[in-house]
Amino acid sequence: MSAPANPFAPRHGSLRRAETAVAWAFRSATYFILLCGGFVFGNICLKGLPTVTGAFRGLDHFPYVTNTFLFEAPESLYVFEHDGKKVEMGDAEYRAFREAETARAAAEGLPAPKFKAKSYVYASGGIWPCIVGTVLLVVGSMTIALLLGVASAIYLSEYAREGPFVRFIRLAILNLAGVPSIVFGLFGFAMFVLYFDWNVSLLAGWFTLAFMVLPVVITASEEALKAVPRGFREGSLALGATKWQTIRKNVLPYALPGILTSSILGIARVAGETAPIMFTAAYVVRDKLPWEVEKFGDFVFQGVMALPYHIYVVSSKIPQNEYTQRVQYGTAFVFLGIVALIAGSSILLRNKLRGRYQW
Amino acid sequence: MPPESSTTPAVDSTVRSFRIQKERTRILGLTWDECIQGFFGGNAFVAVIVLGLITFFLFREGSSFFTQNRDNLTIYRQAGLEYVDFGRQQEKDHAALSRYLSDLRLRTLRHYTDQEGLPAKEAQARLAEFDRFADRFSSASKPLRSLLSDLGDVAVDIKARHQNNLNFAEKRRQLLAAGKTAEAAEVELVPIDYAGEVAAITATLPDFAEASATFAKTLEDLIATPPALPAPELTERLTRFQALTRDYLAGFPATLEAMKAWDPARPVPLAQSFTAFVFGRQWLTASFWQDWYGVMPLIAGSLLVSLIALALAVPLGVGAAVYVNQLASPTEQRLIKPSIEFISAIPSVVLGFFGIAVLGEFLRVASGWSFLAWVPGFPFAERLNALTAGCLLGLIAVPTIFTLAEDAINNVPRAFKEASYALGASRLQTIIRIIVPASLSGIVSAILLGLGRVIGETMVVLLCAGNRIAIPDFTAGLGVVTQPVHTMTGIIAQEMGEVEPGAIHYRALFVVGLLLFFIALLLNFFAQKIVRKYKVSIG
Repeated sequence: MSAPANPFAPRHGSLRRAETAVAWAFRSATYFILLCGGFVFGNICLKGLPTVTGAFRGLDHFPYVTNTFLFEAPESLYVFEHDGKKVEMGDAEYRAFREAETARAAAEGLPAPKFKAKSYVYASGGIWPCIVGTVLLVVGSMTIALLLGVASAIYLSEYAREGPFVRFIRLAILNLAGVPSIVFGLFGFAMFVLYFDWNVSLLAGWFTLAFMVLPVVITASEEALKAVPRGFREGSLALGATKWQTIRKNVLPYALPGILTSSILGIARVAGETAPIMFTAAYVVRDKLPWEVEKFGDFVFQGVMALPYHIYVVSSKIPQNEYTQRVQYGTAFVFLGIVALIAGSSILLRNKLRGRYQW
Repeated sequence: MPPESSTTPAVDSTVRSFRIQKERTRILGLTWDECIQGFFGGNAFVAVIVLGLITFFLFREGSSFFTQNRDNLTIYRQAGLEYVDFGRQQEKDHAALSRYLSDLRLRTLRHYTDQEGLPAKEAQARLAEFDRFADRFSSASKPLRSLLSDLGDVAVDIKARHQNNLNFAEKRRQLLAAGKTAEAAEVELVPIDYAGEVAAITATLPDFAEASATFAKTLEDLIATPPALPAPELTERLTRFQALTRDYLAGFPATLEAMKAWDPARPVPLAQSFTAFVFGRQWLTASFWQDWYGVMPLIAGSLLVSLIALALAVPLGVGAAVYVNQLASPTEQRLIKPSIEFISAIPSVVLGFFGIAVLGEFLRVASGWSFLAWVPGFPFAERLNALTAGCLLGLIAVPTIFTLAEDAINNVPRAFKEASYALGASRLQTIIRIIVPASLSGIVSAILLGLGRVIGETMVVLLCAGNRIAIPDFTAGLGVVTQPVHTMTGIIAQEMGEVEPGAIHYRALFVVGLLLFFIALLLNFFAQKIVRKYKVSIG
């Protein structure tokens, strides 16, 4: 009589093999996603990095070094043959060169030289006005969004009692989060640009972006406020403080780091969106920098160049070739770098802060 | 002096200063705290107000589209363009048949050169008979075409004068508004006798009928004696061509009837303007002939691109969610979750640029590889098409689906899993039979929200979808995914910058925006409903 088989022994069979196979399928799906994201990121970084690193120039005055890609305005690129060599020049350089050559030829009594130059718009120079514009748009819209959003979150988390009114507000926030960004663009165009007659301006862009990012800020702030333990509030109230004193002294200071870090994710969204600013705030090209306005009051009523819109313009309105690639990849790299930095720091900080106050 | 101090005279001054103040400052009958609460409550209401404002402004700008489109359709009828279009349709169908013939010629030529190995010159010579046939076929419509072109000129002229009148009326209105009555009186509207002028067009019906009859006779004679073709496959195509031509000719009497019954004075109901938008198969703007605002091609494009994106993103996103939540080690979890969140931060315009610069070109080259020839739609020539856009949108949808689905799986009570193990189920069985069904409502709502994200995405489709405004040819089966399309979001982004505010085209774009807005709300609504209704919980 043989001993009974151990019923708990690991079984080898088709079930086991299927289990391993399915686990591997799930695992490969996960890593495939990461691979795709990593490839996009890596491709743009690899091809865009040389644009930025190759643009450092020495200066003979204070900072002693500058980056022509980051700190100059976009120009047209001229490509022509000179003395049997292919020469690429930016707009200003090309004009100066042509004049010098013509003058030299005239001095030597030769006929004026002819240049057959091919021009590519925006393919030379840098993206300084776009960086400035994006920063202005982000700062303004995030200020508005944080003021409105944090106040809403304080109401929802501290004052409101569950009821039809609060449910209605929550429903609105949830639905607002799902509205496509292009619809925000249309709305901003109809309301701010046309109805309020602000034209294409920073102000119109600020409000459009702020409204778009409002749900993100409210949700993030509410989560941060909820993370502050009840004991903090109860202790303060028990000592006789009013509700507002409690919130101001004992809730907000502890929630603030959380509110700010989570709202950084909102910044990434604001900086990354193109559709809402297309008709409300962004210009294809603008010679002046935003602070070069005649009156101070005009500051908020001017349109700006913005990085995401510039990427759209250089990737769709000019041909793809070796001359334009520099600026296309360079812009995409700088933009992706900024957004990735913002989003990355937000994610890291949030993971650090999570569960910090647990009593 | 407060009353309580008289009853407790022993309390000294230091204690008294700690006493809670009962009196409160009141503003408009509200205490300070209530004011603060009101302020915060008002701020919370901003979300509701913004949602309301979006609805209001989209309606405000878009609502008069339907009346304007009715005017647009009315003048189409009054000026006789509609009448001429009956004939033009006949002409178009004939042109399509001619294209079928030239396609057949190309195939025959290839047959001669590739399979019989004839030199190009010899092959062309052998095609001479076929060419004569094709020439006679396509030139048969000449008399009809010149008649239609004359009629079209008359109709377009009426429409142009109508447009002039509208412009003058607008000018006069502006002058009157500015108080310049004398100048306003000088602006003269030229009255148009629509009925009389269109009668000149409809009077040519006998001519048209005659031309049409001769045309039909020519074609009939022609297809009775088809040229000989070298291969049975090609002959079969020619037979198919004959059948198509017969069908086409059989439609002639109906067209004639429609032209006879056509009445320029019949009013266009508002409902027709509505259906012309919703079911219209053409989006054609800035045309010399007639502008059409039919949203069908855009909806079809949006849906096609979104379906491709979801087909890629759902298995990947849900699979990754299951893996991370159930199978991965804690270290993996800590690394993978933020990484996928990080992918969601990649701006869509950068992805769009990536599509133009890298992915589009890669897919086109890959579609030419011989070992991929079995894939439907491969190879394709257009670098930017629904597939390119769909792949990138998939990458956008993955983080949304992943995060929400992972949340849903995480919310499945632990006891479910433990009970399943206790009953002897394996890990795979537990996942497939217990965990996934229990979190299905959350997963479905994650997919719906992912769909909302994809349908509303603008920059990727604007840059990568190819921007051809036509309903994709679904007869190509799955190969339809490699056709260029245009989408609802893309058309708004592309055309909004070029339109004049208040014009019908501007209003049409707002109606498309309104449609998008409601689609987004609807998806959101269903996502929430599903979660609430089918939530599985303990007990």
